[in-house]
Amino acid sequence: MKRSKTMELGVGLFMLAGILGLVFLGLRVSGMSLALPSETFRLEANFASIGGLKPRARVTMAGVTVGRVEAIELDTEWYDARVVMELDAELEGVLPEDSTAAILTAGLLGEQYVGLSMGGAPETLADGDSVRDTQSALVLEELIQQFVTSMAKE
Amino acid sequence: MIERIRHLGRRGCELLEALGRAGIFLGQSAVGVPSREGLYLWVRQMHFVGVMSLAIVLVSGLFIGMVIALQGYTILVDFGAEQALGQMVALSLLRELGPVVSALLFAGRAGSALTAEIGLMKATEQLTSMEMIGVDPLRRVVAPRLWAGFVALPLLTIGFSVVGVWGGQLVGVEWLGVFEGSYWGNMQASVAFIDDVGNGLIKSLVFALVVTWIAVFQGYDLIPTSEGISRATTRTVVYSSLAVLGLDFVLTALMFGGLS
Amino acid sequence: MTDSPFVEVESLYFSRGEMEIFRGVDLVIPRGRITAIMGPSGTGKTTLLKMIGGQLVPDSGRVSIAGQDVHALSRKALFVLRRRMGMLFQSGALFSDLDVFENVAFPLRVHTDLPEAMIRDVVLMKLQAVGLRGARELMPSELSGGMARRVALARAIALDPELILYDEPFAGQDPISMGVLVQLIKRLNEALGLTAVVVSHDIKETLSIADYVYVIADGQVMAHGTPASLDADLDPRVSQFMHGEPDGPVPFHYPAMDFHADILGIGGPR
Repeated sequence: MKRSKTMELGVGLFMLAGILGLVFLGLRVSGMSLALPSETFRLEANFASIGGLKPRARVTMAGVTVGRVEAIELDTEWYDARVVMELDAELEGVLPEDSTAAILTAGLLGEQYVGLSMGGAPETLADGDSVRDTQSALVLEELIQQFVTSMAKE
Repeated sequence: MIERIRHLGRRGCELLEALGRAGIFLGQSAVGVPSREGLYLWVRQMHFVGVMSLAIVLVSGLFIGMVIALQGYTILVDFGAEQALGQMVALSLLRELGPVVSALLFAGRAGSALTAEIGLMKATEQLTSMEMIGVDPLRRVVAPRLWAGFVALPLLTIGFSVVGVWGGQLVGVEWLGVFEGSYWGNMQASVAFIDDVGNGLIKSLVFALVVTWIAVFQGYDLIPTSEGISRATTRTVVYSSLAVLGLDFVLTALMFGGLS
Repeated sequence: MTDSPFVEVESLYFSRGEMEIFRGVDLVIPRGRITAIMGPSGTGKTTLLKMIGGQLVPDSGRVSIAGQDVHALSRKALFVLRRRMGMLFQSGALFSDLDVFENVAFPLRVHTDLPEAMIRDVVLMKLQAVGLRGARELMPSELSGGMARRVALARAIALDPELILYDEPFAGQDPISMGVLVQLIKRLNEALGLTAVVVSHDIKETLSIADYVYVIADGQVMAHGTPASLDADLDPRVSQFMHGEPDGPVPFHYPAMDFHADILGIGGPR
């Protein structure tokens, strides 16, 4: 059968463009990095309330993203929320044991994320350890309620 | 009354029978080892259904991306959240509009053409004569078209989304003045490759299979007259559109519905 | 020798919906001869060809080709058997996306591993036989009806089949292409010893080449014999058909109520 070179070329280019488009969606739109998924380690933290924190939320330190929330589950022993985080491996064995984790909000109504801050203890956190010092999410209703009750007392 | 019920029953049986025929048809044509010749036939159909649909899909993607950016901006700016524009454009394109709109366009552009082409081959006895030569038209005519559609639509969907995201940035960043860094940054922070791009592609693969299947089956199963061809072409577009929209709801519910 | 039966059709029954098309048809098609199947239009002549080719399955009855029961074969075996048959369709049925050369080469390419040069030789030989060697680069849409039918004939004989089925080869042709086709069918039969089945209602042309004729009407074989014996047949139905008389035992009118009553609107629904 006679073959049309231009047609084959067209189809080849079409498929190539599709693959390049997928790469674009991966890198530019969903922000994956070409480097192999960097080494990570896990930390857990228990919060009394996580507010609106969602899996895949950012974990930051001094505003720099250092990891992501991997899973959120109810801890049936204490009936609070256990948040599992994946952090960059370079932080393994560096974070002091008394570091704190807080659930923060980007802007007034923005998405919630976990902020870590350094402690000062000599012992450090390793893979699978738990951050003990945590600060729950600020829930707007509770804040308002506190404000109202304190006003009433005065 | 009884006559009505009987009528309903008959329609039900006919529907089931058609579904059965379509299923057997899909099984017989899609399965099998492709030959070198088959590969070339596939390339030809890729050109026909893929490359030829590229222009309409890309242009539509561009405009849809631009419209989402424009509409999204006017809503988001009320909340002072116009930095989230990129996120909005990307998520609506990747999860919903990309797969659905490209599938609808594909049904109109390539699906109807496939039906008419196969129908014409049937009406002019080309399929019968192929059978008499000892070549199975399911393998020779239908299979390459089925596979070409299955591969081409996801590629077109990718193109649609890419151009749409770019069109969104054209309107949002260049025209409405959203800060470029937050356009892309918010997008990257909220789009997950597997959950959003991946699920969008799965949707698109399902739509590709269904639309192409409907198109080639309608062509193969039609009544070989000019009226039959025009009816079958209409049916292809109507059935594929309904199937795409219905399946989209089901798939969305499965993929994103249970997400907390 | 050449009179051994090649295709045998035994008590064939077939109905489409409510309509009975065949009610016990028996035919024997001898090897190496041209057998014509004739009859008024709408009597299922093409349906019969499709049954011989195995595309339609009869309700009951048997079709055997060279001793093989066509409808008992597996799909694969049927396709193998079909390589020994060629069929010429009423419309030609050329593949519209291939040019004349590729159309004729198609069966060779799918069924043989011949090198390109040999395929070219065979194709040109077949095209030469139908007088269209010069048209090899045309697309089917550029051919006239008669030329398309001749290309289709070249394609049907590309694999040198033993049996060739002609579906209305003369219908809608001008006198010249009709003459060409008549001559081609005759010559192919003589030169290659092909067994041919011609389905047609063009009496003069068909009778001039057929060795044996079956006339089908009302789902049954109404008459059969050599052209000469049929011509002299005294059965009024046969002679009506053979001599092309407009009205006779085969009525001119589609069955209807009495014309007078119908016109006056007595007793009819409309």
